[in-house]
Amino acid sequence: MIAIIDYKAGNIASLQNALERLGKSVVIISKPEEILSADGVIFPGQGRAGAAMLELRKTGIDKIIPQITEPFLGICLGMQLLGGTSEEDETKCLEIFQGVCRRFPPILKTPHLGWNTVELTQKSPLTANIQDGSYFYFVHSYYVDGQEVQIMGKTSYGFDFASIMQKDNFFAVQFHPEKSGEQGLRLLNNFCELC
Amino acid sequence: MLVMPAIDIMDGKCVRLIQGKFSDSKVYSNDSVLVAKKFEKEGAVLLHVVDLDGARLGYPANEEIIFAIAKAISIPLQIGGGLRTYEQAKKYLGNGIEKIIFSTVAVENPDLLSRLLKDFGSERILVSVDVKDGKVATRGWLENNICTVSEVIDLLKNAGVTNVIVTDISKDGLLKGPNFELAKQFISAGFRTIAAGGVSSLENLKELNKLGCFGAITGKAIYEGKIDLQTAQQMAAYKNNLAKRIIPCLDVKNGRVVKGTHFKDIRDAGDPVELGKRHSELGADELVFLDIAATLENRKTLMCLVSKIAKEINIPFTVGGGISTIEDIKNLLNAGADRVSIGSAAVKSPDLIKNAAEYFGSQCIVISVDAKKKGQDWKIYIKGGTEETDVDAIEFSQQMEKLGAGELLVNSLDRDGTKKGFDLELLKTIADSVNIPVIASSGAGSMQDFLEIFQKTGVDAALGASIFHYGEINISKLKNFYPITI
Repeated sequence: MIAIIDYKAGNIASLQNALERLGKSVVIISKPEEILSADGVIFPGQGRAGAAMLELRKTGIDKIIPQITEPFLGICLGMQLLGGTSEEDETKCLEIFQGVCRRFPPILKTPHLGWNTVELTQKSPLTANIQDGSYFYFVHSYYVDGQEVQIMGKTSYGFDFASIMQKDNFFAVQFHPEKSGEQGLRLLNNFCELC
Repeated sequence: MLVMPAIDIMDGKCVRLIQGKFSDSKVYSNDSVLVAKKFEKEGAVLLHVVDLDGARLGYPANEEIIFAIAKAISIPLQIGGGLRTYEQAKKYLGNGIEKIIFSTVAVENPDLLSRLLKDFGSERILVSVDVKDGKVATRGWLENNICTVSEVIDLLKNAGVTNVIVTDISKDGLLKGPNFELAKQFISAGFRTIAAGGVSSLENLKELNKLGCFGAITGKAIYEGKIDLQTAQQMAAYKNNLAKRIIPCLDVKNGRVVKGTHFKDIRDAGDPVELGKRHSELGADELVFLDIAATLENRKTLMCLVSKIAKEINIPFTVGGGISTIEDIKNLLNAGADRVSIGSAAVKSPDLIKNAAEYFGSQCIVISVDAKKKGQDWKIYIKGGTEETDVDAIEFSQQMEKLGAGELLVNSLDRDGTKKGFDLELLKTIADSVNIPVIASSGAGSMQDFLEIFQKTGVDAALGASIFHYGEINISKLKNFYPITI
C-alpha cells in the first residue's frame, strides 16, 4: 500500500488519479503513526515552504519522516522540504538532503513553468527505463542547490539545477510526474515497484 | 549569461591594470585590433573595450583604434573610458558602436544620463559602478560625491538606468574572484547586471550565472590562459530547454463544449470528457476548462465534470469561470484541477489574488486577461467579455504579477473566434511588460499562427479551442511543426 501524505499543502487529487491509473492502491494519510506502516510514502507539495513546514511540525510528521526506511518520494515542494533550508520564508527544512533551496534569479521568468528536459546524470532505480532527455512538467519558483553526489538528474533553466535527487531510500523530483504524461507515469510506476 | 572579453587600451596597446592603478600595467599586445579579431574568432559574442587613456584624461583618446576595431569585427562592442558629454556619446553610437559606458564618476549630472537614456534607449547606455571599500564615487550627484551602494542603486533607478557593470576595484586584476555580494545587490534591485573585477575561473563564471548576472567581463584570466573563452561561453550560455506549450481550451456550457465568436453565437462542439481525453492523448501540453455560463446552480455539475476529466488526463489541468472566493479555488483543486484561472473577480477584488497566491502558491493562480483595443491602449473587459472597464490591460497585467499571479492567459476580444491569427501587438506588449509566463489566446486559425506567435513575441504557450476540437489542426502535427524551444 502506497501512502500519500496529506499535510494540507497541495493538490493530492491529481497524484491519486495518476496512481489509480497505474492500478495502485493508495491511502491518504495525515497522522504520523500511519506513515510508518506504509510500504512506500509519497510526499507531494505545492504552496509555500514556511506554511508547509509549520503544518508538518504541528502534526509531528517532521519527526517521523527521517525515520522512514521504506521508499519515500518527495515531489516539487515535497522535494524542497527534504533539503536543509529554504530561502522561501527563511525556513528550516527536514535535512534529508544537503543543500539550500533558492529562488530563481530575477533575470529568469518565474515560476519556471512547463515541459523541460531532464538529463540523467547518475543511475537510479527511479529512472531505470526512462530515456535520458525526456520531458517532464515543472511548475516552481525555487530549486534545490544540492550536493552533486545526491543529484541523479539535472534540468537547464538559465543554468543546470537538480531535478532528481536520491539519498538511500529517499527520492525526490522537482517536476510533477503525475502531470508528465507517459514518462511521468513510468517514473511513478518505478517508484511503486520499489515499495 | 554572456562572457565578455575585455580589451583595455593604453597608448594604443592592449594592457591590463592591477586594481585600476595606471602605474601597475602589463602589456599583452601592441595590436588591439588583432586581439579583437582573435576574440571574435574564438566565438566571443560581444567585446568590452576600455579607453584607459581616455579615462585618465577625461576625454576619448583612442577613438581611432576603437573605430578600427569596430570596422574589423562583426560582433557588438561596448566602449567606455573618458566619456563625459552628449556629443562624445553620439559620435560612438552613431558610428558602429553598439553600447557605451558612462561611469558614475564621469556623469557630471544625472540630467545628462537621463537625456542619453531617452535618446538612445537604456539598452545602449550602460553605467559602470566602481566600488571601493563599499563606497561609490559619484561626482556631481550628491553633495559629498561619495555614496553607499544602496544609495547609488536608488540614484540609478530614478535616472532610468537598467544596465550596469559592477566592479569591486579592490578585486580587479588579482585573479581572486569577483565580489559576488555586490553583483547580487544589483541583480536583486532589478538591474541587468554585468560583473567585472576579479573574474578569474570557470567556477566564478558558474556562480555569477547562477546569481542571474546578465554578463561577466574577464580580462586578465583570458590573457593568462586561466579561462578558455570557448569553454567559458559554452558553460555560461543560458541553456533553456523549456518547451513552448500548446493548450486546447474547453469552453463549457451546460455540460457541453461550445464554440462562440466574440464570446457570442454559441455552437455545440462535443463532450468535454471525451475531448479532454483525446487532446491529452494527442500530446496537448495542458488542458484548460472554462465554465462560460458560470452560474451558481451549475457549480455542482461543474465539480463533477472537472473531476471526471481530471481522472482521464495526465497533463496539467487549469479550470476557470465564475471563481470569486478562496473556497471556490479549494473546491476546484480538490476536484482535480491543478490551477485555476480567475477573470472578473481579479478585476473587482485584486485582494483575492494576493490571498489566493499566498494560500495556494503563485503556480496555482492564472489570471484571465480579457483585453480589447481602445485608441492606443487596451482595456480590460469582464463578465465573459460583455462589460467594458476603465482598467488598462498592461497596468492590470503588471499589477497581477505584483500580487502573486503565476501566469497570464491573455484573450484578445478583437481576435476571438476570427481565426485571423493571434493579436501579436497585444501579446508582445504584455509579454514584454511582465516577468511571469504568458499564454496567448484568441485568433489562432493555422499552424503558421502558432509558429508566428512563438517567434515574434515572448509568450510561453498558445491556446486554441474549436480548431482543435473540430480537428482542423492536429495537435501532434502542430507540435512537430515548430521547434520545441524557440
